[in-house]
Amino acid sequence: MIQRFLDPTVLAGISGLDLVAKTVVDGFVAGLHRSPDFGFSQEFAEYRAYNAGDDLRHVDWNVYARTERLYLKRFRGETNSMLTVLLDASNSMQFGSHRVNKMDYARYLAASLLYLAIHGQRDAAGLITFDDEIRDFIRPSTRQGQLHRLLAALNQAEPRARTDFARPMRYFQEFLKRRGMVLIISDFWESPESIIRSIEPLRYHGNEVVLFHVLDPEDVRPSLKGPTILVDLETQAEMQVTPDYGKQEYRQKVDAHLADLQERTQAAGMAYCRLMTDRPLDNALREYLSLRGGRK
Amino acid sequence: MGFFSPWFLAGLAGVALPLYLHLLKRQTTTPKPVSSLMFYETRIQSSTRHRRLNYLLLLALRLLVLLALIFAFANPFISRDAAALASDRLVLLVVDNSLSMRAATAGGNTRLDDAKTEALKVLSGKGAARGQVAAFGSQLHLMTQPVQDEAALRAAVQSIEPGDGHGNFGELARAMRAMGEAVHTPIELHVFSDMQRSQLAGNFADMALPGNVTLVTHAVTTKAQPNWAVESVDAPGQVWGKDAKPVHVQAVIAGYGTPAAQRTVSLVVNGKTTATKSVAVPANGKATVEFPSLEVPYGFSRCEVKIDAGDAFAADDLRRFAVQRTDPQKALLIHNFGESRSQLYVGAALGAAAQSAFILESIGVNEAADRKPANYAFIVLSDVNNVPALLEHSLTEYVKGGGSLLIAAGTSAGGRTQIPIFGGRVIETRDYNRVPDHYMAVGSSDSSYAAVAKAEGWPGVKFFYALNVDPGTGAEAARVIVRLGDQTPLLMEKRIGEGRVVLFASGLDNLTNDFPLHPAFVPFIEQTARYLAGSERQGGARPVDAFLELRNAKEKGQGVEVTDPQGKRPLTLAEAAKAQSLQLTEAGYYQLRLANGRQDEVAVNPDPKESNLDVIPEDALALWQGKGGQTTQEAGAGAAAGGKSGPQKVPQSFWWYVMLAVLASGVAESVLASRYLGTMRDEG
Repeated sequence: MIQRFLDPTVLAGISGLDLVAKTVVDGFVAGLHRSPDFGFSQEFAEYRAYNAGDDLRHVDWNVYARTERLYLKRFRGETNSMLTVLLDASNSMQFGSHRVNKMDYARYLAASLLYLAIHGQRDAAGLITFDDEIRDFIRPSTRQGQLHRLLAALNQAEPRARTDFARPMRYFQEFLKRRGMVLIISDFWESPESIIRSIEPLRYHGNEVVLFHVLDPEDVRPSLKGPTILVDLETQAEMQVTPDYGKQEYRQKVDAHLADLQERTQAAGMAYCRLMTDRPLDNALREYLSLRGGRK
Repeated sequence: MGFFSPWFLAGLAGVALPLYLHLLKRQTTTPKPVSSLMFYETRIQSSTRHRRLNYLLLLALRLLVLLALIFAFANPFISRDAAALASDRLVLLVVDNSLSMRAATAGGNTRLDDAKTEALKVLSGKGAARGQVAAFGSQLHLMTQPVQDEAALRAAVQSIEPGDGHGNFGELARAMRAMGEAVHTPIELHVFSDMQRSQLAGNFADMALPGNVTLVTHAVTTKAQPNWAVESVDAPGQVWGKDAKPVHVQAVIAGYGTPAAQRTVSLVVNGKTTATKSVAVPANGKATVEFPSLEVPYGFSRCEVKIDAGDAFAADDLRRFAVQRTDPQKALLIHNFGESRSQLYVGAALGAAAQSAFILESIGVNEAADRKPANYAFIVLSDVNNVPALLEHSLTEYVKGGGSLLIAAGTSAGGRTQIPIFGGRVIETRDYNRVPDHYMAVGSSDSSYAAVAKAEGWPGVKFFYALNVDPGTGAEAARVIVRLGDQTPLLMEKRIGEGRVVLFASGLDNLTNDFPLHPAFVPFIEQTARYLAGSERQGGARPVDAFLELRNAKEKGQGVEVTDPQGKRPLTLAEAAKAQSLQLTEAGYYQLRLANGRQDEVAVNPDPKESNLDVIPEDALALWQGKGGQTTQEAGAGAAAGGKSGPQKVPQSFWWYVMLAVLASGVAESVLASRYLGTMRDEG
């Protein structure tokens, strides 16, 4: 069951790209992520003239032998990042107009990212599933078996209840004390203002926050074949709607909503990536990672 | 109102389908889940009412299409007064003007006069209906358009002239079937004829009339008349030279419904009676008369065989034929120097047959260069081992220009790889002296080819030597006419340019075969000579309505002038320049003159079937009219009475209008449905 999250074609698509964090996060284990602090790893960074009080162990004696001047040899420190995936498991995520619903798509996406982080980057990775409260939390770790724990948690995350960012976000800050990357996967059916207000504090803690906006094609371009009664999956409320409305006004409103959310997200210093469930997952990830790579 | 095909009304059950789709299925709409109603707003009032209206309109249109279609298939009709329908119906008057209508009746008139009088009577009683007049000989000739103007119709009836054609009611029915497809109103077909038995179609089904045609026959005579006629004349079309052999003329005199009698038969040449004979014609039988010597001057002679029939039908008491006396045509035989067998055999064969139509000139190959091939009707190239290039070129040009050539390969062509002019590749020589029987017989022959048709496969002819020549493939391939027992092509023909070349793969002497010693050799040479000279058809006689070929392949660009028996020119200027054939519609003599000087004269005789004045039985006529056991008179009286005998109801189908309703409602449904469904289409 777990293996369905590790679709080889998806992983093959991701492994070819480097996941390079925009912000270098300090960490314990050496890795590929670059840190702004200079340290003592194997990658040479620069020479600096010796000042009184500097540690003599860092003096390059070969240079001194040739030039009779004291220089300190400085190296670039490489650290691991901490990745936390926040997965929306509310009822609206179970909507799907074709074979893969939004929850499945979100699971595949989360599993792929977690696998990449653990196996590819040796990052500490964790998972929080939430709806209107926190349903499950697996602390970021690099321990043996972490990936299996994460994937098992993903597998158990069945949609229920409704989304409420405000309540679980208060707890997120308690769990996320160290700086790292936070990936929020949701369909974000709330007002952009409320979403950003709830998520923004994560950014204040120095986290790199990315919003993965998962949408079904029917969410954006509903096709109604006549006056239809619609049922809200989260509230179970019913409403009769005409095709004309679905074709014109609804689309305008949704487009405005998406544009507003993207604008506010980027204004808050966070990244935003919209993913449609009818597009291949590896393509979606590759597009996103390319976007991230371009911003480093 | 009623239906001609009420079983189609069972299709009304299909109305349930749109009802189900529009009303019942619509009620079972299931709520559709969505992620969130965050951006949706309730919209029911105006738009849903509008949709509902559209739904009902669409439903109504679909039901209308379906109902109208079912009605159309059920073929509805309404019963209308026959009198009210009078203005809708078309009264078509068809007057028979075939040859037999020239026969005199008891009153001293001809049958055609009686038929026209009868037609005028019907015309005066047609009322408000439209009328149309047609003459019917071998084909239906419409004399007017459908009009109500009685004066115009009367004038058209009066203008019908006697013809020489042979009527066939099958042809009339075919024309009516074609008319029935264009005219949807009822047609009242009145046929004024002598109702000859010989006018019936071979198959009664060929005389079937369409449903909207009501047939009324008006027979101008009801019983057979005795009649003597010259049924046929057998005479040659051409006589060659001043010393031609005497020509025999054979005529058949026939009596139809006649007692045994002695008749006097005369042979008339250019208006002068040259011989007279008396012949005993048996009762209702035939007798043959023979005139042993026909003397005609040079040029075309108009000849007739006449009888003193003394019956009421004089038009068939003579039979015409044309005979041309002309000089024989020249033919050229080119042979090897010193070789004399082929000229001996070919010359003897041409002299023995073909009524001395050809004068054979025989020369050696070394003398051939200074001869003009165009001066000869055809050329024979016999066993020439070496054809000079100049001669080969001039013969090739002669053939391409329309000339004809017979090549006998003989033995000398065996050394060549290709037959000159003909072009066929020599595969090998076949020397049959080496086979067990020392000869090879003919294996198969194409009996449709005139030159071998008379010889019946050349039985007993032994071939000792032949060339195996490749006939080729594709469009350039030669036609193989005769093959030997081992499938070696023996006689082949190939068209080169406008002309033709016949290749005989053996020799015309008695060395390579014994063919010249067999009787079959004479008809072979005669027919081949006639075929190559293109003189198969000159003069003679043709039946009325036959087609006369105006120009052959050599005369493509030649202008032609034709004079008909009346002395008029039936061809327009454009036709005179381009037409390939002319239909001979009148009995008499047609003259043909071409710009190249060629002349022809053809005698045209009516169909001998017209001489038999036996009439169609009453029951057969009643059957044709679809009246069962009713007699023609009763049926005719009933149809002629029309609305006069009371308020007669006539069912009138209106499926045509229902189909128009189907079309209109179908178009409206398409427009509405496309507009309605268009709003549902996701353009994003």
